Amino acid sequence: MVVDFLSYSLIPLFSALAIPFIARKNKRLIELLSNVTLLSGLLNLSYILLSYLIKNNYETFTMDVYSFSMIFTIYLVGLSITFFSTHYGIENDTNPTSYYPLILIGVSAMSSIVIAQDIFTLYIFVEALSVVSFALITSDNSHTSIEASIKYFFLTFPASVLIIFGISILLLNHPNLDFSTIKDTSSKFLTIIALSMITVGFLIKSGIVPFHFWTPDVYQGAYSPISALLAGIITKIGGVYAIIKIGILISNSQLNYFISKILLLSGILSVLIGAFLAMIQKDFKRMLAYSSISQMGYIILAVATFTPLGIIAAVFHLINHATFKTVLFLNSACVEKQTGTTNILELKGLEHRMPTTAWTSIIAMMATAGIPPLSGFWSKLLIIVALWKNGNIYYAIIALIASIITLAYFMILQKKVFFGKLPEKFDGVKEAKFQLLIPVVVISGIIIFSGLFFDRVYSYLSRIV
Amino acid sequence: MSIYLLIYFLIIVSAVLSVISKKLINSAIMLAVLSVGVSLLFFTYEAPWAGVFELSVCAGLITVIFISAVSLVKQDDEAFKENRVKYTIFPLILIIFAILSSIFVPDYFSKLSNFSIYLENQNEPVGKFIWLYRGVDIIGQLTLLSASVFVIKHIFKKKKTAEER
Repeated sequence: MVVDFLSYSLIPLFSALAIPFIARKNKRLIELLSNVTLLSGLLNLSYILLSYLIKNNYETFTMDVYSFSMIFTIYLVGLSITFFSTHYGIENDTNPTSYYPLILIGVSAMSSIVIAQDIFTLYIFVEALSVVSFALITSDNSHTSIEASIKYFFLTFPASVLIIFGISILLLNHPNLDFSTIKDTSSKFLTIIALSMITVGFLIKSGIVPFHFWTPDVYQGAYSPISALLAGIITKIGGVYAIIKIGILISNSQLNYFISKILLLSGILSVLIGAFLAMIQKDFKRMLAYSSISQMGYIILAVATFTPLGIIAAVFHLINHATFKTVLFLNSACVEKQTGTTNILELKGLEHRMPTTAWTSIIAMMATAGIPPLSGFWSKLLIIVALWKNGNIYYAIIALIASIITLAYFMILQKKVFFGKLPEKFDGVKEAKFQLLIPVVVISGIIIFSGLFFDRVYSYLSRIV
Repeated sequence: MSIYLLIYFLIIVSAVLSVISKKLINSAIMLAVLSVGVSLLFFTYEAPWAGVFELSVCAGLITVIFISAVSLVKQDDEAFKENRVKYTIFPLILIIFAILSSIFVPDYFSKLSNFSIYLENQNEPVGKFIWLYRGVDIIGQLTLLSASVFVIKHIFKKKKTAEER
């Protein structure tokens, strides 16, 4: 493990363990403790990040830009979710003494995944993350959430079996499982089989086509803030992140050809199938889930090039997509709370009653579709340039066309949900509480900021490889 | 030597609390703390192999089983009050025992630890590898176990409220 970052995974863990002892009866104290834990971590991280972005000062902390930006994203999304749940009003059945500690343990496990230096440590924390999210999905105790949780369990735990089989095959011809050792001896036949099994396992966990069947049901059925956490960060760190890590591992070796073909095919399939299926959905959250599959496909396409530019593009799109999807899922939770439905056919003209929710959603949708000044444009551009330079011209063209389809389904969503004439039954609808809008507005600010100051962000991220 | 005394103190206090606490769940947690103390003792006397197993099986697995069992027990069973005043004599006995053992036991343990160091120099033990090179797994273990405890709490608590409706 990278010792520099160890405190970012240990502090949330200890805070989670302290909650049942310190604040068993007092709900406010639990919320305060979990929010303060994540806020202090985020302030620390953003101070270090801003000291580079503003003062151009590299010496503050560490050279490991990749892990650093990942941990920043994890803390950002984690804090948004805890802050949002504090004011969203937990259902009566949900127990705050276990809800907040589980989120904190999830943040801790994700930070540990990021700083892991060998595959077995990575696997342990991925397992911990799966267990945590399996429980969190059921938070509101409705039938849909329990169904979603069981689906998640039965479709992602086979993935764990595949990963552990891969690891045991790797152990047959390696002295230990450090990433550096595998890099040295990565041309043997058994290594190819093992790495393929591990890759397929992580593809299932990240919900890429053809293993995407669990994602829409789970995102739609889960407790609303938790579906933001799942789509925003858990499937990325627990799935795509590991694939990027393996991608860095095997770049410039003979393994490239085999795994690149698998990744390119599943990536382009998920881009297309996700985008087309999103167009015909009738539910806000379900459409966002299919959009999530489609955007994950872009990240996988970028990894499949195995070039430095591709890895930078993948990391940048991963961070961007975490911000977009958090905004959109939190806004869908607000819409559900205020109007009582997420059915697109019933919703209309909410822009007149919920302006902040509407406009932050529109910013996030524009960014996802890749409209120029926003951050999503730059990451998609990088992905397409990386694909083109690597010789995968047809894939680049398909990715470009799919980006237009993305714009199309988000235009449909905007027109049906936010624009148009307000129906009479929504006359009494008000804007969501002021506190619920804070995370969304802050993250929208980050989307605009990283789009406008793309040159600084790019020069920061280009230190990854 | 102060660290040994601290660990003894931790073990004794947690043992006493696990006996006299009124709620079953607190007893189970205190039992886990006791096992952690014992495993720390193993580590300080350079028996990492035993320590790792004490930590994972006794502090972790058994606690998870206990807590899941306690969560499944209905609230009514804990309703009747026991008179536990008579048990306060146990702490007194334990304090006397602790004072006596702090005088006599450390010599014995230091002899034992010398013996274990002598044994380890004979050939490289497996436990050393685990403790020195895979220390990270302790954090992973802690994460997994705490996650499982909270997961059980999160899921089974709700099942009960659903039945009450």
